[in-house]
Amino acid sequence: MPTYELALILRAMPKQDLKTTLTRVSHAIFSRGGIIRNIENLGFRALPYKTSAHGLVHREANFFVFKIDTATKAVADLKEEYSRDVDIVRQRMFKTQTDCEHSCTLEEEMLPPAYREEVQKMIEIGKTQVDRFKYKFKYNSGLDYYPFQK
Amino acid sequence: MYNLTTRRILLPTTRQSSSITEDDSPVEMENPFKKERRQCILCKHNITPDYKNYRLLSQFQSPYTGRIYGRHITGLCKKKQELVETEIKKAQNCAYMPYFYKDKMFLKDPKLFDPENPVRSHRF
Repeated sequence: MPTYELALILRAMPKQDLKTTLTRVSHAIFSRGGIIRNIENLGFRALPYKTSAHGLVHREANFFVFKIDTATKAVADLKEEYSRDVDIVRQRMFKTQTDCEHSCTLEEEMLPPAYREEVQKMIEIGKTQVDRFKYKFKYNSGLDYYPFQK
Repeated sequence: MYNLTTRRILLPTTRQSSSITEDDSPVEMENPFKKERRQCILCKHNITPDYKNYRLLSQFQSPYTGRIYGRHITGLCKKKQELVETEIKKAQNCAYMPYFYKDKMFLKDPKLFDPENPVRSHRF
């Protein structure tokens, strides 16, 4: 079961209603055999842009992040169910990031162009290509006329 | 004959001088003037940008247009710049961050770089 992050935005509503919607959202996950690892509340704040959902324009909303483990096949189903939920303004599902080892390549990128590996590769490719600035039509090609515009 | 004798006399003196120079000879060592390997600011502090940390991401956004600054301005390595860009797009899509301006709460955040002095020149 891969781990997902569900970024939920719920419309502005009293605390009691918020509780019921959160339980509704989580029960949808449980009914599909998923589990919730963590719920984060990012608070009630103004949206950066007004959003219309289910015939209402929202300027403020509650922000939540669910960390869930669920089957990949259930994700589309969950999304479809949440899209029908009137209290949900916006919902996005992301796969959690996996930390991978990475060493900074800034030093190599700051080198002068001739020393950069990608530039050297480009030059190598350029050598195999026909240079259209230096290319000259050879008249012994079998044609008795010049085939291009002069 | 004369030449041979002179050589015999010279040999020990040259040996002595060589033993002295051995002590004084240059020592094999690393270049002491070698510059420290530069790292981008995110690699230095070992930060992976995350779409939930929109305050950090907003520092890579123009306060005038909300556009993401390029690599020649931010001074990030290729991988981190790519990550920052994708995470900003995710955050904007999740309505954590605005598209066309920078959140006015974050306008006084410390500057990580100077957009007026890019590493490579602007195309504008």
